[in-house]
Amino acid sequence: MLNFSVNLGSDADSSIVYDLIIIGGGPAGLTCGLYAARYKLRTLMIEKAPMTGGQLTTTEWVENYPGFPEPVLGAKLAKDMENQAKLFGLEIEYEDVLKVDLAPKIKELVTAENTWKARTILIATGSSPRRLGVPGEQEYSGKGVSYCATCDGPFYPDKTVAVIGGGNSAFEESLFIAKYAAKIHIIHMLDKFQADQILIDKVKANPKIELITNTVVTEFDFEKEPRKVLLKNNKTGESSELVVDGAFVFIGAIPNTKLFEGQLDLDDGYIVTDRDHSTSQDGVFAAGDVEAKVLRQVATAVGDGALAAYKIHKYLDNPELS
Amino acid sequence: MAILDENVLKDTEKALQNMVKEVRLVLFTQEMECSYCKETHQLLEELLSTNKLLKLEVHKFEKDSKAVKQYGIDKIPAIAIMGEKDHGIRFYGIPAGYEFSSLLAAILLVSTGKHKLTKEGMKFMDSLTKPIHMQVFVMPTCPYCPKAVMLAHQMAYYSDKITADMVEISGFPHLTQKYSVQGVPRTVINEKWYLEGAAPEAMVMKKIEEAIKHA
Repeated sequence: MLNFSVNLGSDADSSIVYDLIIIGGGPAGLTCGLYAARYKLRTLMIEKAPMTGGQLTTTEWVENYPGFPEPVLGAKLAKDMENQAKLFGLEIEYEDVLKVDLAPKIKELVTAENTWKARTILIATGSSPRRLGVPGEQEYSGKGVSYCATCDGPFYPDKTVAVIGGGNSAFEESLFIAKYAAKIHIIHMLDKFQADQILIDKVKANPKIELITNTVVTEFDFEKEPRKVLLKNNKTGESSELVVDGAFVFIGAIPNTKLFEGQLDLDDGYIVTDRDHSTSQDGVFAAGDVEAKVLRQVATAVGDGALAAYKIHKYLDNPELS
Repeated sequence: MAILDENVLKDTEKALQNMVKEVRLVLFTQEMECSYCKETHQLLEELLSTNKLLKLEVHKFEKDSKAVKQYGIDKIPAIAIMGEKDHGIRFYGIPAGYEFSSLLAAILLVSTGKHKLTKEGMKFMDSLTKPIHMQVFVMPTCPYCPKAVMLAHQMAYYSDKITADMVEISGFPHLTQKYSVQGVPRTVINEKWYLEGAAPEAMVMKKIEEAIKHA
């Protein structure tokens, strides 16, 4: 079935001072946008991709977001969240923030096109796929090594692929790729998988998917056909090769916080927040995957976003008390 | 049955209300053996209802060789986005999924003349003397793809030397082989130079510079 997605920026006004600017349009940002708009805060969201949704847009189905007993399409859930927030007045611009000045009372964000000003900032920039950092990965990124199943899964009809990782993403995306590929090898460095048990059961029941444990990838040897993933067993030290047509890497994420280095307290790259999502900088808040925390899910992101909006609303009412 | 649902039509109408000048959508299609030709035609028919400044012109690929040549069309379905002149903005394959926004963006670009190119980028493009053809290969489910398409189309709009195509690769499987596309977006410059991912403007300009230097 064909679907059509409309994602174009609002005509936001860069000459005014917004009550709140949200950087990043994933579930945390969209929920904060919804709540803030309902508090009647003049709120602008700035998203660097040409659509909102963040990581929801790179996954096919979401099965663990409450309220949807039938799985919901990640892209649809994102679009619905956006539409709901826009209904209450959230403005969205699709620009890439290049520089931020978070210390002054009126904070400034510079994009290639505009300079935006706001009394408060919510950082909801999420995270990006972590790279393995082995030879061949960089050279063949987009040419056989992929980090997005919904983008590149269809390039492997009846082919063999390696999926690297042992968490929920690796397992969910393997099930998606299995719709196209003939054979999938999931390669994981530990002997136990971190994915939810329900996903492990599904993967084990899929005859197309093979699990390889205690094994790390040492190189993507993709220069000549047949392409090979070079492997090393952690326990025995033994090396081996796996002939594949392509590989997908899902080994966790790194926070998108480069912009904020030196201006906020970070922990291993993640933004340190307190329980109401305040950061080390007055008037600056954070929500979702970008925060230093233990669980990163759509369900936790929306909770973070709602609570942050509440706190921002209180802060704007009376900055001295917050 | 309608191809665009009520909500999408409403959003589209809202997005296009900023149109200023007339935009002509020139569609190339044929009755037989073309995947998504019928759907692309229907999509454009429905799109017409959202704004009076939109016009549709339909050509049959196999019969209308004069138009095929004039617009430089080599596969179908194809859409040329025409403003007061031909800026070299093309869509090959159906602009569905996330690419629907690329289509609306191209219409608005041509209609309003508003783009988001940087001063440095424009300066570089002003210095171009040889033709540059960009093909951006995409999938409708790829969230990174419209960024690459929109940038290429803006460059084509700005520079008379640049033409830019969106190519929805699932409609043209043979091109997967020809241009060794294994991930999207992939931008091919003058048939020979490749760029992976939704690269920022400066990186695209650098690639074009390389393509010119080594041509």
